[in-house]
Amino acid sequence: MHLTRRTFAAVAAAALLLPLSACGSGDDDGGSTDASGKVEGDITFQTWNLRANFKDYFEGVIAGFEKKYPGTHVKWIDQPAEGYADKLSADAAGGTLPDVVNVSPDLLAPLAKAGLALDLDKAAGKYKSEYLQGAWTGHQVPGMSGTYAFPWYLNTGPLFYNKSLFEKAGLNPDQPPKTYDELFADALRMAKQSGGKVATLANVPTVEDFGRYGVPLMNDQGTGFAFNDPKGVRLLTKYKELFDAKALDTQALTATPESSGKKFLTEAVAMNPGSALDLGNFKKNAPNLYKNIGITDQITSTGHVNMYVMGVMVNSRTEHTPAAVAFAHYVTDAENQMSFAKKVAIFPSTAGSLDDPYFTKEDGTDETRVRIAAAKSLKNAVNYTPVLFSEQMKTALRNEVARALQGKESPEAALDNAVKACDRLLQQQG
Amino acid sequence: MANPAMSRVTRVRRHLPTSPWLFAAPGLLITGVFVLYPFVSTLVNSLTDRRTLIPGHFVGLANFRELLHDDMFWTGLRNSSLYVVGVVPALVILPLLLALLVQKNIPGITFFRSAFYTPVVASIVVVGLIWVWLLDERGLVNSLLEAVGIGRVGFLSDQWLLLLSAMAVTVWKGLGYYMIIYLAALANVPRELHEAAAVDGAGPVRRFLTVTVPAVRSTMVLVAALSSVAAFKVFSEVYLMAGPSGGPAGEDTTLVMLVQRTGTGLTGRVGYASALSVVVFVVTVALMLLVLRTDRREES
Amino acid sequence: MSVVEKVRPAPAPSVPGEARVTDEHGRRIRVWELVLRYALLLVVLALTVGPFLWQLSTSLKGPTEDIFSSPPSFLPSRPTLHNYERVADTIPVWDYALNSLKVATANVVTNCVGSALAGYALARLRYRGRRAATLAFILAMLVPVEGIVIAQFTTMRELGLNNTLIGVVLPGSIGAMNVLLMRNAFANLPYEIEEAAFVDGANTWQRFLRIALPSVKGTLAVVAIFAFMGAWDDFLWPLIVLSDPSRFTLTIGLNYLHGTFANDERLVAAGTVIAVAPLIALFACLQRYFFRGVGEGAVKG
Repeated sequence: MHLTRRTFAAVAAAALLLPLSACGSGDDDGGSTDASGKVEGDITFQTWNLRANFKDYFEGVIAGFEKKYPGTHVKWIDQPAEGYADKLSADAAGGTLPDVVNVSPDLLAPLAKAGLALDLDKAAGKYKSEYLQGAWTGHQVPGMSGTYAFPWYLNTGPLFYNKSLFEKAGLNPDQPPKTYDELFADALRMAKQSGGKVATLANVPTVEDFGRYGVPLMNDQGTGFAFNDPKGVRLLTKYKELFDAKALDTQALTATPESSGKKFLTEAVAMNPGSALDLGNFKKNAPNLYKNIGITDQITSTGHVNMYVMGVMVNSRTEHTPAAVAFAHYVTDAENQMSFAKKVAIFPSTAGSLDDPYFTKEDGTDETRVRIAAAKSLKNAVNYTPVLFSEQMKTALRNEVARALQGKESPEAALDNAVKACDRLLQQQG
Repeated sequence: MANPAMSRVTRVRRHLPTSPWLFAAPGLLITGVFVLYPFVSTLVNSLTDRRTLIPGHFVGLANFRELLHDDMFWTGLRNSSLYVVGVVPALVILPLLLALLVQKNIPGITFFRSAFYTPVVASIVVVGLIWVWLLDERGLVNSLLEAVGIGRVGFLSDQWLLLLSAMAVTVWKGLGYYMIIYLAALANVPRELHEAAAVDGAGPVRRFLTVTVPAVRSTMVLVAALSSVAAFKVFSEVYLMAGPSGGPAGEDTTLVMLVQRTGTGLTGRVGYASALSVVVFVVTVALMLLVLRTDRREES
Repeated sequence: MSVVEKVRPAPAPSVPGEARVTDEHGRRIRVWELVLRYALLLVVLALTVGPFLWQLSTSLKGPTEDIFSSPPSFLPSRPTLHNYERVADTIPVWDYALNSLKVATANVVTNCVGSALAGYALARLRYRGRRAATLAFILAMLVPVEGIVIAQFTTMRELGLNNTLIGVVLPGSIGAMNVLLMRNAFANLPYEIEEAAFVDGANTWQRFLRIALPSVKGTLAVVAIFAFMGAWDDFLWPLIVLSDPSRFTLTIGLNYLHGTFANDERLVAAGTVIAVAPLIALFACLQRYFFRGVGEGAVKG
């Protein structure tokens, strides 16, 4: 192969002369914020990894909507778990975003900033009172006025622990840790008693852990991060101590939620956060563990447990604003959320739904017990993860935390660096 | 047409100018529209601060200057370069030995040749899943190690073991591919050379070094060029085994992983990631030229 | 695996009891060397195929069998297809497989045709700009794909081909690597073959179709396998281009298993077996041509 300079130059020149369209997000047409017109037309509804288990449910919801509003047609598409953000960004950049989209708050923020999410305070403010206040405000974006998605399902869960491992370590299996101090003490003891074979925690602290520990995550104006305060440093220092004592799993630095779940299942780790969904999994895949499972509340210093929030946004460029808004509301209304909640261990974000007997009345099973406890804690739960905390920021924090745990940096320096990196990314997000 | 005195070139010219371009047109069109043109926009983007959803402004070489101060960039450059150093020698030598092993037509050899090629056929995602499961703390490899008394090894949790494991997977998947390239080359080595050497009393090792290696030297260079370009651009193996954040503290991040991490998603920094892509491209072109240059120098 | 070929009988009659195995030149191979060779072959076989078999074995183990045991049990104690049934119950595997098959087949056809044409133009035809054309393909091979996906998608949307299977196929429909493979195969053909056709007055097209192309069948098989593999295995691009789940290919579809059964090694194993089995089968069918293609010096450079 001979590459001559002349041919290279020719190709390069030809390439540079090609028209450079396709840069920039382009057209602003189509779509109005006015949702008061007639509800009609074809719309597309995109969900995130729900088809495999809930096909019938969604087909039922859509049939109900089409019946209620003749002249509408809803096309449902579901995307697999992996690559959802890539898919959304290609669609958003290419102008092919569906009309109604299932988003989490961190995905919503950049879409709203790019003007792609409809402001529901304006277009659907009248529905605001139907939802839990915290869930509604959870879809606001710092630095912008307005709310950009209907709240959909919530999730939270207890902390599972392995009673027999507790017993072997000389800990009282009926008195799981309730505070961080107890947790750390128990974890160190567990590691010592088992000769470093059994860890108590499987994951490095994430931004939500800092939040639950009572560390302020952002400054009051929402313009910069603040988790490098003394409290944050204290938490990370404690984790470092645990890591050195093997009370935090030695593979925690490379753990994923799946791998840590597996560790709990195989009894290499004594505690794991989870949800009611996991109970069924334990029962099926680890019957021995299931017999010894203990269930306790999430540990917090703030009194507010962490919750995960899902929302449904309306594409601001939809050609059928009334139908898209009506459908997004319909999917998330009390009735449909309630029936979804009964299919799977999630919780409705509509006001009053958590008072339903389904979430308050014990029937003696563990599933129900977990469900009731979770529903109760949700009433003042918080989504700690800041809406503006992007994937890149998560990686930056995770890597700095890992450096501190490895002893390559002091906890102070690690958190300072993480805050610096996240602040820079925040600036760059614009 | 029947004029035998007409030179070949003139005869070919008779069909010009339309047909050669017609032959090449579909290929050039597809490559131009879907590979080269997007790459040119990558070049342009590398000079802007464009983000996924926000069109950028021209910032000159700011992205490239930022690279120099980005620790992750240097980590990525280190790992991608280490990958070349670790993988290329193995992929130049092992497949050659393997080709020598399957060259002779002994019974069942077709089966072995095909079987050795299976890892090439399987998708990298599948290969990643298989090896993650094999090297899991409780997977097959560790079960075997424990059974023979060595004890379990954290292949997937230690920074260097992770990188080594990923390299091993790359070599494992590449063995069959380069083996067949060598098979083709070995078929052209004249038998007489070996015989002459054997008559001179050369043993198998000396015959390998004095006959086989010189005969397939140009193929070795080709394999070195191909595998070093692929190794420098490594993404999937490390991504699948070390996870999206690149192993403990991101220490296993490779350059292309960094491109993916910074440039994708709704908050992706397209401009900065494009600058990284340009660096990757320049280094691969340089690597290839370097390998081919070494070849030419040795030849002369 | 069904790739075992019938062993050709040794040409010379031989004394019973003595090793009858000969090499490609009809020379006898000593017994100890033969034993050594087979021993090495078996070791390499275990290393290359073993991991796949382990995956197969895991996928056949029932829910009650411990898959983490040490020492490991290589054979499932009670083999079951239950895990495959669960995969099929969860996702429409067959629809996805059909889509993958369509995409892969189309990719094979376009790559074989397109790269044969372009390869011939680069190797055999003379015209201004030939070098530039060759260089374009070489550069295309070096472009890091991860950096250009969004730009590709934007182009595809402007062509109105997003969310179609055509859109999935198009960017890889004539791979630069394949073009260069074909170029080398044509370049290695002796000129004299075509020379004769010149004299008979055949035009470029006829020479290409009747003389050059039949001589590079093996390389075409190589291109076909690469094209099929590439299309069948691709994940990111089909995911970006397709929105409608009814058009999803198998690799994307299998990803639904990831979120749903992340903790179940048996199911993941079943999914990977489903993904890789068709490729192994295809390769087993084409391997004869494939190795012949290699013999043509196709991949030699």
